[in-house]
Amino acid sequence: MLLDYDRMGWLKIALLGFTALVAGFLLLPVVFIVLLSFGSSHWLAFPPPGWTLKWYQELFADPAWLDAALTSARIATMTAILSVVIGLLASFALVRGRFAGREILRGVLLTPMVLPVVVFAIAIYAFFLRLGLGGTTIGFVIAHTVLALPFAIIPIATALEGFDKSIEDAAIVCGASPLEARLRITLPSIRIGIFSAAIFSFLASWDEVVVAIFMASPSLQTLPVKIWGSLRSDLSPVIAAASSLLVGLTLALMVVTALLQRKVRT
Amino acid sequence: MSVETRQSLPTFRMPAGFNGLLPALVLIVLFFVVPVMALLLRSVTEPEPGLQNYAALLGDGTYARVFFNTFLVASVVTIVTILVAFPVAWMLAIMPSALASIVFGVIILSMWTNLLTRTYAWMVLLQRTGVINRTLMAAGISDQPLPLINNLTGITIGMVYIMLPFMILPLVGTLRAIDPMTLRAAALCGASPFQAFRRILLPLSLPGIAAGGLMVFVMSLGYFVTPALLGGTSNMMLAEMIAQMIQSLLNWGLGSAAAFILLVVTMALYALQLRLVGARRMSGGA
Repeated sequence: MLLDYDRMGWLKIALLGFTALVAGFLLLPVVFIVLLSFGSSHWLAFPPPGWTLKWYQELFADPAWLDAALTSARIATMTAILSVVIGLLASFALVRGRFAGREILRGVLLTPMVLPVVVFAIAIYAFFLRLGLGGTTIGFVIAHTVLALPFAIIPIATALEGFDKSIEDAAIVCGASPLEARLRITLPSIRIGIFSAAIFSFLASWDEVVVAIFMASPSLQTLPVKIWGSLRSDLSPVIAAASSLLVGLTLALMVVTALLQRKVRT
Repeated sequence: MSVETRQSLPTFRMPAGFNGLLPALVLIVLFFVVPVMALLLRSVTEPEPGLQNYAALLGDGTYARVFFNTFLVASVVTIVTILVAFPVAWMLAIMPSALASIVFGVIILSMWTNLLTRTYAWMVLLQRTGVINRTLMAAGISDQPLPLINNLTGITIGMVYIMLPFMILPLVGTLRAIDPMTLRAAALCGASPFQAFRRILLPLSLPGIAAGGLMVFVMSLGYFVTPALLGGTSNMMLAEMIAQMIQSLLNWGLGSAAAFILLVVTMALYALQLRLVGARRMSGGA
């Protein structure tokens, strides 16, 4: 009866209790950091002696934080666009192409996801030093696109595998050109896959720390590099304020995703 | 004659549907394969041609300690993650969907929250004067602050936190694919719940546990950020050592040799995992 939710008895209670504990564990740091960002103690005492907005004021008063956030947003947006376009083309080839070595090529394209980032980080760092691309926006975008591409290919390829190609063929039979059929029939049908690809590759760049630490220059810092630098010097509550805004962004992305998925279902 | 030759040569044609792969392949070859290969070359050419970097890494007690630490941390993290993830995935697989979507929401929120944010939270929570130590002392469980950070405990808590979603989500898929009838049959045949668990549920979910566990192990081996921030100097892990060799010591030869060792171990385990789940199923998400 171990897979009958309604007939598990005490075991269900125990497992549900454990699940609730783990959910609490997963939620704890996120909630904690948001509460802490409104706490008045500079030493991060908890519960805080009072509530304040001064860490947010400090955060917005320092142009370096805003600068870093804008740099991150710019690089992540370009990375997301590039990975979705390249990933879309690659997914069509991987799912529909009929050529030898397809599985191997798929494995090769997904390798950046499994290779430890630190290895790629020092490799691309050395490579870009020679090409003069170190510390440049284009260098960042290229490196992040390599890392983000698997996260674009996986959802798009999955969506494409679930799409019935005969619908596209029907459009062609009815007079659409192959390109038109793909653009007007296939792409809209796999839009959830494309949208997931965009979010995942955006996040892959937005959250990327290791390559960024190596690539960053004093004039070009992404948000994670800025946080990393602050973390290494002290645990200032300003980081908590910046972090809470990032949590807010995550929540917003989750809500948008949920809404879009609901819209597709109905 | 030359016309003859040209005509008799089979014209080279791109295989059907291959062209779309070109941009991705150019990107990966030029900015991934080539730089990584160039790095590996440096490990046997700097400061002079030969294998002296590898000899130094494998023959020295300090480095041996780092290798040992890395494997220890990755193993502990993997085991703890599996033990914590299994019951949660089990419940998620059979829960009413309204309840399950709340838990899934929490998992996604944690997974999508900035990595440094989560690590920062744990740094504050686990410090000597942090909430956890205060709570433990207030509750009378401990009469002095426990060392929860800058050691193996800190790394394990932080890493398990990050790895849990990667173990829970695929396991839910595995557990959902098990037919509840097999367990009902076991019960009808007189198996106790424990027997049914040990002889049916566990073996049937083993492929998922192995695949997820291997993924967590591989990711933990090369993890840089969380161990560097939550661990101490005495239990440095391989990724942090590599970064230090390059960034602070500028020892490219030694650093790239260490990177190559990490790469070989990771890729060998990845190949093993592909054999376990199959490349198609892995890239198909789930």
